[in-house]
Formats: sequence, structure tokens, C-alpha cells
Amino acid sequence: MKLQSNMAWLFMLPTALVMAFVAVVPMVTVFNYSFHDIFRLDQLFWVGTEWYETIVSSPRFWASLGRSAAFSSLVLMIQLPLGIGIALMLRRAKPGTANLMLMCLAIPLVVPTNMVAGLWLALLRPEGLGGQALTALNLTLDYKFTAVHTWILILIVDTWHWLGLVVVLAFAGLSSISPAYYQAAAIDSASRLAVFRWIELPQIAGALWIVLLLRLVDSFMIYTEVMTINAGGPRDATTFLSLQLGEEIKAYSYGSAAARAMVNFLFVLTLVWVFVKLRQSRDSLGDKAT
Amino acid sequence: MSRAGLFRTLSLTALAAFVLLPFLQAVELSFTITRGAEGAPAGTFGLHNYANILGTPALRDSIINSVIYVLLNVIFCLVAGLPAAYGLARYTFVGDRHFLFFLLAFRVTPPVVLSLPIFILFARAGLVNTPVGIALVHCVFNLPIAIWILESFITAIPRSFDEMAFIDGHSRTGFFLKFLIPALAPGIAVAAFFCFIFSWVEVVLARTLTVTGGKPITQAITSLFSFQTDWGLVMAMTVFSLIPGVLMIFLVRNHIARGFVVRT
Repeated sequence: MKLQSNMAWLFMLPTALVMAFVAVVPMVTVFNYSFHDIFRLDQLFWVGTEWYETIVSSPRFWASLGRSAAFSSLVLMIQLPLGIGIALMLRRAKPGTANLMLMCLAIPLVVPTNMVAGLWLALLRPEGLGGQALTALNLTLDYKFTAVHTWILILIVDTWHWLGLVVVLAFAGLSSISPAYYQAAAIDSASRLAVFRWIELPQIAGALWIVLLLRLVDSFMIYTEVMTINAGGPRDATTFLSLQLGEEIKAYSYGSAAARAMVNFLFVLTLVWVFVKLRQSRDSLGDKAT
Repeated sequence: MSRAGLFRTLSLTALAAFVLLPFLQAVELSFTITRGAEGAPAGTFGLHNYANILGTPALRDSIINSVIYVLLNVIFCLVAGLPAAYGLARYTFVGDRHFLFFLLAFRVTPPVVLSLPIFILFARAGLVNTPVGIALVHCVFNLPIAIWILESFITAIPRSFDEMAFIDGHSRTGFFLKFLIPALAPGIAVAAFFCFIFSWVEVVLARTLTVTGGKPITQAITSLFSFQTDWGLVMAMTVFSLIPGVLMIFLVRNHIARGFVVRT
């Protein structure tokens, strides 16, 4: 049992101070800027909600929102089932093999984000290993000018980068299942599908909810990889939400960039809030059941 | 071998190839001279690219810069995160859930959103181009992680452990230094691992805060790209940037999964 004491806020003080400086003050600053027209930082002109109106009425914004939503959906549909499938497969492999595979899968996670795409571009150069393999198979990957190919490449690169996270966490959840559950299932002659649905899935759900949130938000706000591969092209086909924001920051349009940053922050906040609420309601349901 | 076993072996081999292929290419290129020079024609193998890194002050310094701010960030996160994690593990208080909610929200806020005001704020505070600035700003996403990890490890220690120390007459500070930190060593290692990795791979904020000096290794790599990129040199630098992460994975290979048990 935990003690109830509001003095515990004293323990939060160092963290609260650091977060105030690096997160809260910047966020409030952005919020303030988003209502101003700014030529130089010492000349602010109040424009009210004008920037927000411009964003909401711009077809380009809605198009990039749609693209980001589509990209996130694809990422989740590919990476979660694939990661869980691999984790299930590793559970049946020899422990040594499983451990080695987990370490391999973790390596892409420690690649600096600007080189994630860089490694793949090096591989796909005409004289690179991947480029030669494609030529030998008589395939082309025209990621500079064909939108579908750019999307495929970004999805491959993102999956390569993050698959390890899903696998490692799903595997950890599966490892914590006591053998007694499997024995009970065997006595009931439960099908493979039933074992997954009623024994394995509930065990990995706890670890997976944070993967789901991280993958959802990170893919929704993907920036560096897409920038490296084709800078949002061809013809805006991979201009996602944060790339539009990046464009405005580079163009020094502080006011409208701030409004766009607020809009993006609002998306993130909403997603986190929905997640926390869903999890709390699920937990309280669980409490009632026991 | 059964049919299922054969299928599993084939799938895992294909997966390993998919994961490792880009690294194979990078290592191969890093040992290949891609831009010919006198006495070292293009296409030959050798340590030329690595010698080039050590001979170029900008590249050498960037590695040192990165190591400094990453280590500083780990220290900041542990020093600020440890008391917070302890408070959250042992007490309930008004607003604790909201505190955790905002930690989670800032952890997932994309750096692009914060880059503009952070630059302005840090420029006023004189923290641009310094390792301290980058180390501080990386706390946005690393401090929440450090707190979650440490909290889950502290919760695993029974509270009687604390009370014994207090009965023996140790102060709160003495308890932290002499009892809690030694008992928490594995948790601190896992937290340090994640902070190290996330700070090492972050690009957007580190770039924003280094205008003229103190460039991190990631920026040094980006600046090598040009109309005629010397891929051998780029890949040698990339291989360098992978060494700490791969070492870390090896060191904590049995504990990695603990880090993501998040409470809200």
C-alpha cells in the first residue's frame, strides 16, 4: 500500500523544474506565437485565430492529415501482427537462437535517425547490394519519381527501424506466461487460435499498449526518414503533417508555424488522452471481474 | 526436421538477412575507398576512410561532442528522475495521475513541434552551441522514461526496506545514497541504457541547438552529403555512430524488456 502525502510533490520538484524549462515554457511560447503575426521576434502583431483559420481552410493541410492517418494505419497493420508473429515464432525456437535474433532486431533501434534512411539509400544505389539484386530480379524501385515506390520504401525503412521494439516487448510478455496455462489448455484440447486469444494476447496486452501508442504517435509525426528519402515528394505524395511544419519553420514564418505546431500537439495530446482513458476503463472492468 | 520447424528456420533466416543487410552494406562500404586519391584508387579496400575520420578535426570533435552531451543527459535524467520515481512509487498525492499524464504527453510530443521555441529560449539563456543545452533539451523525452523505469524497479522493493533504514536513524539523503541506489543498480543501468540510446540517436533538437559549434556526430554525417557524396566516408562515420549502441545492447541484453512497463 502506498502512503498518502502531498509532501511527495517535493520529490517531483527537480523533474518539474526541468520539464517546465524544456517543455512547458516552450509550449506556452508556441501557444502565444500562434495568435501573432511575427516579422522579427521583438515585433508581434495580434491576429487572433487567423493562422488557425488559414490552416483549417487549406486543402493541403487536410490532404497531409489524410496521408499521415493512412501511413499510421499501414504502419500499425504491418508492424503489430508481424512483430507478434515473430515473437510467437521465437518462443518456439531454441533459447540461444531467440536471444541472438532479439539482439539483431534491436540493432536498428540504435541507429541515429538521420542515418536510418541513409543506410537504405546506400544499399539501394545502383552499385549497392540491394540495387544489384533488384537489377538481377529485373525490378525497379523508382522512389524519386513514382509515389507508390516512395511509400513502399518509407514503409520498409520504418518497419526495419521499429519492428525490433514490437518483437522485444511481445516476447517479454510471452516469456512471463506460466507453463501451467499451456498445460491447462492442452487438457481442454484448446485450439492454437484459442490459446492465442485467451492466454497469450491478454499477457502481452500490457506491454503492447505502450508500443501501440509509441508507434501510432511516432508514425503519425514521422519526419526525418521521410525528409531524407524524398523530402515529401514526388509532388507532395509523402508530405506528412510534420513535413509541412518543417517547411514553415525553414521559411521563418513563425506565427503560422506556431499555429501548426499547436495543431500537431493537439493531435498528440488527444491520442494520448484516448489511450489513457481506454486503458483506465479496461483496468476498472478487470477489477470488477475479479 | 518437421515442416513447421523448417518453415521457422527459413523465416528467421530471411528476417535476419532483412535486418542485417543494410549493416553489411555499410561495413563493406566503410572499408572501400569510394573517392579515389593519390596512392588509393577508388574501389580498393582499406582503412583509408577510418584514417580520414581521425585526421579530420571536425569529425573527431563531433564524436567527442556527442559523447559529452549524452553522458550529461544520462546524469541529469538520473539525478532528477530518481527522487520523482521514489515519490511516485511510495506515495499517492493530489495530482499524481495528471503529473504522469503530462510526462507521457511530453514523451511522445514530436521534437519538430518544440524546436522553434526551444531555440529562442535557449539562445536567450546562452545555451546554444553547448553540450549542456542539448543534454537539457533531451530531458523532454528521456526524463519520463527514466522515471517510469526507476519507478517500476523501486515498486519491486518492499517498503519495509525503507523503514528499516529510517529506524536505524538514517536520514532520507543517507538512505538514498547508502541503501536505495545500491539496491537499485540494475534499474539504474536499464534507465541509463535507454536515456543513452534515445539521446544518441536524436537529430532534430540536437541540430536546432548547434548553429556554429558543438556539432553532434549525426550532424557531422549529414554535412558529408553533397552533390558527390563520399559514401565510404559517410558509412565509416555511420559505423562509428553504431558502436556505442551495439555495445549497450550486448551489455543489457537480458534486461531490455523491463524498461517499457508504463503506468499512468
